Amino acid sequence: MTTANQTILLVGEGPLFEELHYLMTSNQYQVIDLKMAETGTYQVKLALEVMNTDLEKKKDSIVQLDRLLSLEVPIVTTSLAITATEVASWTKHPERICGFGTLVPLVERELIEIAPALQTAEEITPQVTTFFTTLGKETEVVVDEVGLVFPRILSLIINEAVFAVMEKTATAEDIDIAMQKGTNYPQGPLAWADQIGIDEIYAIVNGIHRDLREERYRPAPLLRKLVLAARTGKKCGQGFYLYPQEEGIRV
Amino acid sequence: MNEYRVGVIGAGTMGAGIALVCARQGYSVKLLDANEETLERAKQYFHSTLTKDVTKGKISEEQKAKTIQLINPIARIEELHDRTIIVEAVPERLELKKSLFQQLAKICSEKTLLLSNTSSISITAIAGSLAHPERVLGLHFFNPAPVMPLVEVIRGKQSSEENVQATYQFAKKLAKVPVMATDTPGFIVNRVARPYYNEALRILGDGVAEVEQIDRIMKRAGGFKMGPFELQDMIGIDINFATTQTVFQDFFYEGRFKPSRIQERMVQAGNLGRKTGEGFYDYS
Repeated sequence: MTTANQTILLVGEGPLFEELHYLMTSNQYQVIDLKMAETGTYQVKLALEVMNTDLEKKKDSIVQLDRLLSLEVPIVTTSLAITATEVASWTKHPERICGFGTLVPLVERELIEIAPALQTAEEITPQVTTFFTTLGKETEVVVDEVGLVFPRILSLIINEAVFAVMEKTATAEDIDIAMQKGTNYPQGPLAWADQIGIDEIYAIVNGIHRDLREERYRPAPLLRKLVLAARTGKKCGQGFYLYPQEEGIRV
Repeated sequence: MNEYRVGVIGAGTMGAGIALVCARQGYSVKLLDANEETLERAKQYFHSTLTKDVTKGKISEEQKAKTIQLINPIARIEELHDRTIIVEAVPERLELKKSLFQQLAKICSEKTLLLSNTSSISITAIAGSLAHPERVLGLHFFNPAPVMPLVEVIRGKQSSEENVQATYQFAKKLAKVPVMATDTPGFIVNRVARPYYNEALRILGDGVAEVEQIDRIMKRAGGFKMGPFELQDMIGIDINFATTQTVFQDFFYEGRFKPSRIQERMVQAGNLGRKTGEGFYDYS
C-alpha cells in the first residue's frame, strides 16, 4: 500500500502524539490536526486519537472527530486508560472506533497492539492493522481491556516497584539494577517509568483499577503524588531520578 | 586474598554455584552436605565447569587446579568452626534454617557472618531466636549463581549496620553486583517480577489474549528476552506458583499478589514446564 499523500488526522497530547507524528511523516503520510480537518479541504484516511491522562479532553476530541469525519473513516484511539468500547459508547457511529496501545519510545516497539471495541465493525480492524504495518510495525489483535497486554503488564510491574520504593524496601536505583541484573529486564522499571512518563503510567494503572474495581490494581499512592507534583519523569527533568537540563534531551 | 574463609551449606545447584563463585575469587570454601552423592555431583560440576573455562581459554589448567583445590567438601558441620562467613543454601524450610544457624552459633565465633540464600523466608524469622542475631543477613544469589551478576543483600530487623556493610563488601569481592533490600516478602526481584507472571495469567484467564500472543507481545512490543509463559515453563510452573503463594501469604493476602487458578491447575496436572515435557507449551 502506498502511503504517499494519504492524510491522517492526529489528535491528542503527550509523548505518543509527537512520536506518532514523526513516525507517520517519515513514512510519507500527510499528518493534519483537528483545525485543518475542519476546513474540509482534506480527505482523511484515518484518525488517530492518543490522549490518556485527561479523559474529559479525550471525550471532547472523540465526539468532535465522530461529528466531523464521514462514516467510513476509522477512528483509532488509545485504549490505555479506558476501553475502546467505552470510547465508542461516546459516539454516534461506534462501529468505526478501534482501540490500540503502545508506549514510547516507538523505535523500541517492534509490535503494536490493536483492540477492537465490542462495537467495532468487522471491516475496520484490517484497515487499522494495515495502517500500523505501513509504519513498519507488526501487530497483534487482542480483546478490548484497559491497557491491552504490554502496557498493562509493564505498568503493574512499575506500580509494584513504586510500592517497594514507598515502603523503603530498596532505593529506586537498586530496584532498577536488581530487575536488570537479576531477571534480565530490558530496563529498570523506575527508569522506564521516567522515560514513558509517570502520568501515562498512572493513567493506565488508574484506568485498570477504575474499570476492574479490584484492590489488586490499586495505584501506589506515591505514583499519584508524583503526578500531582508534576514530577512525571525525564520530560520534565524529575521523576524517580533527576535529569539535569543538559542531559534532559539525552535518549 | 585470604581475608574470607567461607562455608557453604547445601551442595545442590545453588550451594555448589555459590561455592564456585567464592573459589573463583580465590577464597577457601568448605562445602557441607550430609549427602555423599550430592557432594560428588557438586565435584563433577566444578570439574566440568572449570574444564570448559580452560577450553575457552578463560583460565589456565593451573588456575583450574587451584580453584578446585580451594573447595573442600565436608560432611560434618563441626568442620565449619574456623569460617568467617557462612552461606546456607538448604531447602526453603524455616525450621531447618533456624536449627542450622543455632548449631553454627555454638560452633563458630560470634563474629562469623551467618548468611542465608533464601529467596522467600524472612531473615528476621531465621535470626529471631539466635544469641547474636545482628550477624544474620540474607545473601540471595540468582540461578545460575556463577552466571547471574546480581545478589540481594537483605537486612534483617536485627542485622547490625557493620554487618550489612561487611556483607555488601563480601558480595563485591565476589565480583557480583549487590543491591540492598529490607526484609520484606520476595525482597526485590521476586516481588517486583510477580506481575510479569501473574498479570499475564490474569490476562489469559480473562480471555484478553492467548499464551503465544502474550509471549510474542512482551518480546516484540516490550523488548523482554522471554515471554511470561516461556519463562514459567523454564523456571518450573510449580516453583513459580510456590513463590507467588509465599509472597501472597507473607503480604497477608494483599490482592496484588493473588495467585492464579490457571497456574494451580497446571501444577495439579503435573504440567510443570520443560522439566516434565509439557507446560504452557509442548516440549515432547
